[in-house]
Amino acid sequence: MSSKTPLKFTIIDVAVIIVVMAAIFLFFARMSQVLDYKWEWEAIPSYFFFTDAVTGKLKANILITGFFTTIKLSIWSTLIGFLLGIISGVMGAKGSFEQRFVSRIYVESIRNIPSLVLVIIFYYFVSSRFLDALYLDRWLRNSSNTIQHITGFLFAKPAQINSFISAIIALGIYEGAYVSEIIRGGINSIGRGQWEASWSIGLSRQKTFLLVILPQTFRKVAFPLAGQFISTIKDSAIVSVISIQELTFQGMELMSATFLTFEIWITITFLYFILTFSFSRSVAFLEKKYALKQ
Amino acid sequence: MKKILSLSVMFFLLMAGILSARESVIETIQKQGVIRVGMSTFVPWAMKDKQGNLIGFEIDVANRLARDMGVKIEFVPTAWSGIIPALLTGKFDVIIGGMGITPQRNLKVNFTIPYDYSGMSMVANKELAKGFSSLADFNKKDVIIAVRMGTTAEQAARKHMPNASLKLFENESQALQELNLGRVHAVVSSAPMPVFHALKYPDKLFVPIKENFTKEPIGFALKKGDHDALNYFNNWILNMQAQGFLQEKKAYWFESKDWEARVK
Repeated sequence: MSSKTPLKFTIIDVAVIIVVMAAIFLFFARMSQVLDYKWEWEAIPSYFFFTDAVTGKLKANILITGFFTTIKLSIWSTLIGFLLGIISGVMGAKGSFEQRFVSRIYVESIRNIPSLVLVIIFYYFVSSRFLDALYLDRWLRNSSNTIQHITGFLFAKPAQINSFISAIIALGIYEGAYVSEIIRGGINSIGRGQWEASWSIGLSRQKTFLLVILPQTFRKVAFPLAGQFISTIKDSAIVSVISIQELTFQGMELMSATFLTFEIWITITFLYFILTFSFSRSVAFLEKKYALKQ
Repeated sequence: MKKILSLSVMFFLLMAGILSARESVIETIQKQGVIRVGMSTFVPWAMKDKQGNLIGFEIDVANRLARDMGVKIEFVPTAWSGIIPALLTGKFDVIIGGMGITPQRNLKVNFTIPYDYSGMSMVANKELAKGFSSLADFNKKDVIIAVRMGTTAEQAARKHMPNASLKLFENESQALQELNLGRVHAVVSSAPMPVFHALKYPDKLFVPIKENFTKEPIGFALKKGDHDALNYFNNWILNMQAQGFLQEKKAYWFESKDWEARVK
């Protein structure tokens, strides 16, 4: 495959560009006509950063803190999802009958429940019976400032810790089911010849799996897994229903307070886009680089 | 096998014991040195200012309560539709969120005596609701009213305008957006927000009925069965009324617009 074919502008390309531009122009013209909306963009930057009146320092405002909460949520739930997914995926591909059965039940039940329902069930029923009974928030409140700062940086403040953990577990369980299918597919895609070749040189079944099959699997599934991380970022918006102060929730709170509906939705869309697009581009870049060496 | 079974039964009994060993919320608050207050954004009851701090009538009330109890305060912003389940499952100690005392809600939670009264008001679209000036005008089949889901505004709209169809939204800002776009005839909400919104878009919106058409008491909501806490909060409210604190705050948040510059 060569990417060095010179770009040529044909008459069709020009026509397509003109039509697209006209459509965009019409869309905005029509929108401003129908909407008759008082745009107040000048208020938006202060929701990112503001200067503290007392110290004169620049401080992060709720959109930025929400943005970082979204990133924290995505990273933790992806870690949990990968852990569950790898266990379940290996069990599903190469386990005994019982193990495959357990893995199937996990994957099928989770993939057939809307993530929103799963998050709500987990928050109100599971978390309030078990997580809250651990009194993690009380322990945190009574702990030293340093510990509070560290957990605040990695997870959430004491007031939010229970719902935050409930959210990352629920999201992790949800993503785990998809990771499981990726891993299972990856393992199954390694040809039978690899197994037979390993056995013939005297490797045990276990060693074959660990030394020959798994490394090849990981190379195959690395990029689908990165894609799964991107969809975790997007899925994390649903935990706004259990009042996790991530980007969507903060935006909705801001809208209720200021009524700047469109400005804030557009800003939030843009923030999510920056996050996922930059990640997917860097994955694509790595994929290309890595694929050449293979 | 039997051993495992009896052990797990014991474990669950123990868990149940821990969970049912209830103490008054007042004691828990004192012990922890923090009161967790459930609330939701409602202009001008509670909202975020330019610096991301919570401000509003409820916030002032809750802050004063915490100060009088000698504890720190933690606000737990919660989606309004899920605020009662969140209280019942112990996500916070008390709801101070402009919650109207209604018989239906009272079956699930306990309310304090009212610390404020609110009423429903309405803002309407000039084009769609031209010439409408009474509830009867809105009580027609082809009229659409937007309200925030699970609020007393929803109940008031159903009761006073049973023939109109309702459009429910998770947030007030969405309902108001529908009104500005001319997709609904009117928005019903707690005073004074509808009037403020009509003032903001004078060429598009108007207030069809000058007086509030309901009057509803507002109280703190807490879990059932906690009489110590109920007694404490009731007496705190009586005290604040006697001192004039509640009246003073009400005048600032509901009768003036001095706070608007702090939000935007």
